[in-house]
Amino acid sequence: MKKKKWWTMGRRESLQGYIFIAPWVIGFLAFTLGPLAFSLYASFTDYNITSRMDFVGLQNYDQLFTGDDLFWTSLYNTLYFVIFSVPLTTIGAIFISMLMNQSLPGMRIFRTIFYLPAVLSGVGVYLLWMQLLDPGTGLVNTILSWFGINGPNWLFDPDWTKPSLIFMKLWSVGGSMLLYLASMQGISKNLYEAADIDGAGTWKKFLHITLPLITPVIFFDIITSTIGSFQIFQEAYVMSQNGSGGPASSMLFYNLYMWIKAFQSFDMGYAMAMSWILFVVVLIITIINLKLAPKWVHYEGDDK
Amino acid sequence: MKRFSLLALALLLFLTGCAGFTGGSEGTQASEGKTEDGKVKIDFWTFWGSEIRRPVIDKIIEDFNNSQDEIVVEHTYIPFGDIWTKELAAIAANNPPDVVINDINATALRGQEGQAENLAPYLEKDDISGRFYENLWDATLYEGDSYGIPFNTDTRLLFYNKDAFKEAGLDPNKPPETWEELEEYAEKLDKKSGDTYERIGFYPLYGVGSDVWLLNGSGMNYFNEDDEPVINSETNVDTMEWIKSWKDKYGEDTINRYQSQIDSQQSNPFFNGSLGMMANAATFYTQIRDYAPDLDFGVAPLPEKTSGSGNTSWGGGFVAEIPKGSSHPDEAWEFIKYLTDKEAQEYWAVKNFDNVANIEASESAATSDELSEKDQMVYEMAAQNLNDTLLTPMPAYAPDYVNLINPQLDAILIENKPAQEALDKAQQDVEELVEKTAQ
Repeated sequence: MKKKKWWTMGRRESLQGYIFIAPWVIGFLAFTLGPLAFSLYASFTDYNITSRMDFVGLQNYDQLFTGDDLFWTSLYNTLYFVIFSVPLTTIGAIFISMLMNQSLPGMRIFRTIFYLPAVLSGVGVYLLWMQLLDPGTGLVNTILSWFGINGPNWLFDPDWTKPSLIFMKLWSVGGSMLLYLASMQGISKNLYEAADIDGAGTWKKFLHITLPLITPVIFFDIITSTIGSFQIFQEAYVMSQNGSGGPASSMLFYNLYMWIKAFQSFDMGYAMAMSWILFVVVLIITIINLKLAPKWVHYEGDDK
Repeated sequence: MKRFSLLALALLLFLTGCAGFTGGSEGTQASEGKTEDGKVKIDFWTFWGSEIRRPVIDKIIEDFNNSQDEIVVEHTYIPFGDIWTKELAAIAANNPPDVVINDINATALRGQEGQAENLAPYLEKDDISGRFYENLWDATLYEGDSYGIPFNTDTRLLFYNKDAFKEAGLDPNKPPETWEELEEYAEKLDKKSGDTYERIGFYPLYGVGSDVWLLNGSGMNYFNEDDEPVINSETNVDTMEWIKSWKDKYGEDTINRYQSQIDSQQSNPFFNGSLGMMANAATFYTQIRDYAPDLDFGVAPLPEKTSGSGNTSWGGGFVAEIPKGSSHPDEAWEFIKYLTDKEAQEYWAVKNFDNVANIEASESAATSDELSEKDQMVYEMAAQNLNDTLLTPMPAYAPDYVNLINPQLDAILIENKPAQEALDKAQQDVEELVEKTAQ
């Protein structure tokens, strides 16, 4: 009697549910939460992957904050990159998607062209950009010279390396452009028609109709691209001299420095401490973003 | 009931999924130890996958496999960017390969971190240390024990264009011997039309970095015999100022224009005579051979800072090591011995035109019939130069010290920071790093 009551329909269904999600749960525990917890513990040790793992308390963190100039350099470089690349790529993507949202003949071709860079990725693109940005023979400086501008040394001048990367990122805004475009196409034509009747111009329509209605996508884009920008690694690894963040440490981004510590100095505990600091920084920024969101993100059908 | 069977089915599917994985890994484990006819299998990892290198290493392996009937070596090619992180993961997982080609400059560090097997017990039985150039051998030692056996190496030489020498009225058989002569010759080789250079004599940072000139000038590494960093020495300050003076001489525009031609390989200005002299790795010769076969050039040791200060050059290289936890270290050792013995080394040297660690092989490769006259000339110079070639092993107590020095060197050359100030800062930073690691 009792037993029957325990094995109710509800329980059976929830068990089934758990079994169905088991592969994911097991994967999450084994491959995400497990390593996460391990890295938290190991950040308090002198773990070197192969032979050593002694508890050292807060020594790694202490060293990072008080005795490691390169840590601060890498943090500065990364913040610089985030602060400029996130707003610029967001604005760039909105601008392009506005243009792509016109109904002109041949628009599909333009959309394809602007989306194409998002499909290409990885080392090939970086090598291509290294050629484009070559100070002597690169296409960018060649074009600038047509207008009488003496182009900078891009990847060889510490003041220009980060702008070079941001410039490169702007070229590949196609991915988020697609999101904005989809959301713009979802905006009801009635709103624009009504605005036309009221005599609103293009700018007013953009400011008061388009922009508010795509804020959820802007919000999503800002959060993901902020997190993504903090993790910048490959670009610097491929495009800096010897992959060590040069010239003059100007491309020594946070994750690159972490990688050097982990896999060249084998100071894995130290690198794990770094990864936790980055985690906390990104977490705080994301929470701030989430808290600010209700003030400017507009959800349709939301009365507030 | 129906629902129960559905559930059972789901579970079954899930479990078979798991079983599939375990089945797979069991399979690889069984094939790992021995072959069907009882030979021991050795897993050998290299990053030599190019059209040129792969057939050479495969032939060496084949020869070894045919030379005895107890060991079979299997070659696994892993791209350069992945090989050592993969090796590290494999060591941590207790399932490493048996022999891996690794960076010679980090050998001591890997010894300290327990990533490579200590080879001292094997060396006690058969001491092969005498086979190799001393500097190479010393780079493999951590606390007196070797953790990897040198395989190949490289060295920096001065290449100069003999035709340009003749045109400028210089003796094509008398390359510059000191930095002063270098400047003098360069001045003569410079050719200007209007404001643009048609030919520049020499620029120290084409082909090598400022660290090579620091080494050349001081005749020593960044660390002295007592493992103390020596970065802001008078000589080093002098060297950096010397490099800077070249930069000021030719100017940013000319330097960048030439640099991008060098980067594109085929149109290297040295090939078409618009760069008179260039310091580069000895293997740069293979590019000359391929892209500018008619170029009349000579090779010489790097000039000395002042007469008598020494033609010190810089080199790197690779070792063959046994990762910690290899299941067949004894057989791995047998293979490493073969790999670094005269026959295999000479074959590698001649076929790849690469400098090898084995002295005897290096010397006989220089006179090998398989090499052309020009090949022999360059190879012989390179082999000789190895005696003056220093390595820059990463000290186990400050493995990433260069990351503190290089930004300062950049600051001198790019941001015009005074050399003394920049090197003082580097000195202080490295001292702090050493001190901290010692704690």
